[in-house]
Amino acid sequence: MHTIWRVILVAFLCGSPLGYGYTPGEMMDPKIPTKTLMPKIKVDSGLLEWVPYSVDLSPWPTLCVDDPRPMPRPKKAQYVGPLRGDAVRGKAIAMDTQRGNCVTCHAIPGEEWPGTFGRDLRHYKQMRMSDADLYQQIYDVRTSAPRAVMPPFGALGILSDQDIRDVVAYLQSLE
Amino acid sequence: MRNLIVVLGLMLAPAWADEPYKEYTSAEHFEPHVSGDLQLTGTYRYWKDPAKLDLRLAGHPDDSWKLNWKHMDYPFNKEMHAGHLALDRGLTLFKKLNRSGTFKNCLVMYRLNGKYETSLRGLRTAFPAYRTDLGRVAGLEEVIEHCAALEGEVLQNGSHDNSAVSLYVASQSLGMPIQIDVSSGPLREAWKRGERLYHQKIGRNNMSCASCHVERVGQSLRATVVTSPYGDVAHYPVYRDRFGITSLHIRFAQCSLELGFNALKPGSPAYTDMEVFMTALTNGYPVSVPSERP
Ligand code: HEC
Ligand code: HEC
Repeated sequence: MHTIWRVILVAFLCGSPLGYGYTPGEMMDPKIPTKTLMPKIKVDSGLLEWVPYSVDLSPWPTLCVDDPRPMPRPKKAQYVGPLRGDAVRGKAIAMDTQRGNCVTCHAIPGEEWPGTFGRDLRHYKQMRMSDADLYQQIYDVRTSAPRAVMPPFGALGILSDQDIRDVVAYLQSLE
Repeated sequence: MRNLIVVLGLMLAPAWADEPYKEYTSAEHFEPHVSGDLQLTGTYRYWKDPAKLDLRLAGHPDDSWKLNWKHMDYPFNKEMHAGHLALDRGLTLFKKLNRSGTFKNCLVMYRLNGKYETSLRGLRTAFPAYRTDLGRVAGLEEVIEHCAALEGEVLQNGSHDNSAVSLYVASQSLGMPIQIDVSSGPLREAWKRGERLYHQKIGRNNMSCASCHVERVGQSLRATVVTSPYGDVAHYPVYRDRFGITSLHIRFAQCSLELGFNALKPGSPAYTDMEVFMTALTNGYPVSVPSERP
């Protein structure tokens, strides 16, 4: 179905994309740069404030029952070597919570309180994974592990081809 | 306007057939009772009795998650925090709203054990409930907003003052077990929808609530450890340092943004379905307010 019709459908089913005051409603305001709103609780007030949120989340389906926006399907990456990744950039992406965010779920060198959702990556090179397989793991691991918890960064468009190459270079540098 | 909707409806009718692609975390068996946790995480035995928590666990960075944070709940945690101030304000607001007695009558308009109740005692334990005046299942905060409006006051669902009144009403059920019946009728439907929503993978991380609260309990995201979803509703509304007095629907909104999808307005049907689902997971656990959480 054409995207515009999906958007209009969402407007009818989950509230209006035109902002406040609709029940039920997705909390967004197309007039602000990130479109996304977050609640702000004002002490001793009967009014709930909504203020701009730092990330634009409006492309994604919400928790609304009938939200007709789809999620991207599992996708095989079209990886072609050589890698040409920059490990220094890769590290920055891995540590950035709005980008790779790997550190939230994995142990990464130099992080005191890493996550334990996935494997410790501090000596990743020892796993001897090929660049192509690691690329696909980050791009979208659902192609081989449909129940994976790790976000498919490439298929969701969170990381670009070069971003993933950089992260691969970084991981492969961890002796 | 109505014509426009009909025309749009006809144009969109074929769209219904094509379900948007989404993945679901495989459904675990959920019990509408707090003891169901024993099949999920097994931590219930550590926090089953709020008066007898194992404090050695609390001091253990690797094991404290097993207490499901219950050591931060009243009456176990008697420390002063903003939740207490909000409860006091809730009482003041309640008295003001209830000058003519109609506000309380509006709140208690529900059937418990087959008879109409007249007291606030136990009220918290029976929400969300089907409300004939609203014609739908509604949470306590939605009903507070509705009943306050009848008194000419604006207490938006999720606002500090709405949550303060909710906290006061909850305090009148302190220690009484949450008890909603999701075995039939509209609450059953809401429980089923809520359970499905809980497993739906969406947003910028393609995750469901169950991705963490079922599949990764006890694992840490940076410095925070994921705990059981059972028993959580007993301490709402809760005081959160960075955010203030937080109702369950506001918590859903905060979770949504953190997970990478837009928040819904408190009182939205999807949030009420989730509230029914999570409240049923707290059935049998005593109301414990005011509480705090990080
Ligand atoms: C939301 C948590 C999360 C984030 C964020 C995350 N991962 Fe993962 N990762 C996991 C989990 C969980 C697994 C184990 C398999 C599964 O269930 O997906 C995993 C598996 C992996 C593996 C495979 C390890 C093995 O066992 O062979 C690699 C490599 C990996 N992740 C790298 C990364 C990189 C690089 C990033 C950042 C771009 C990242 N992960 C971000 C949760 C995460
Ligand atoms: C990326 C992992 C993750 C996902 C996905 C997730 N949560 Fe959580 N959630 C947490 C963590 C970590 C906490 C804080 C520790 C705890 O109480 O479990 C938390 C806390 C909560 C709390 C507060 C519990 C309390 O004691 O007050 C609620 C309610 C909650 N989550 C609901 C949800 C809902 C609803 C969803 C789905 C929309 C969801 N969570 C998805 C990680 C997650």
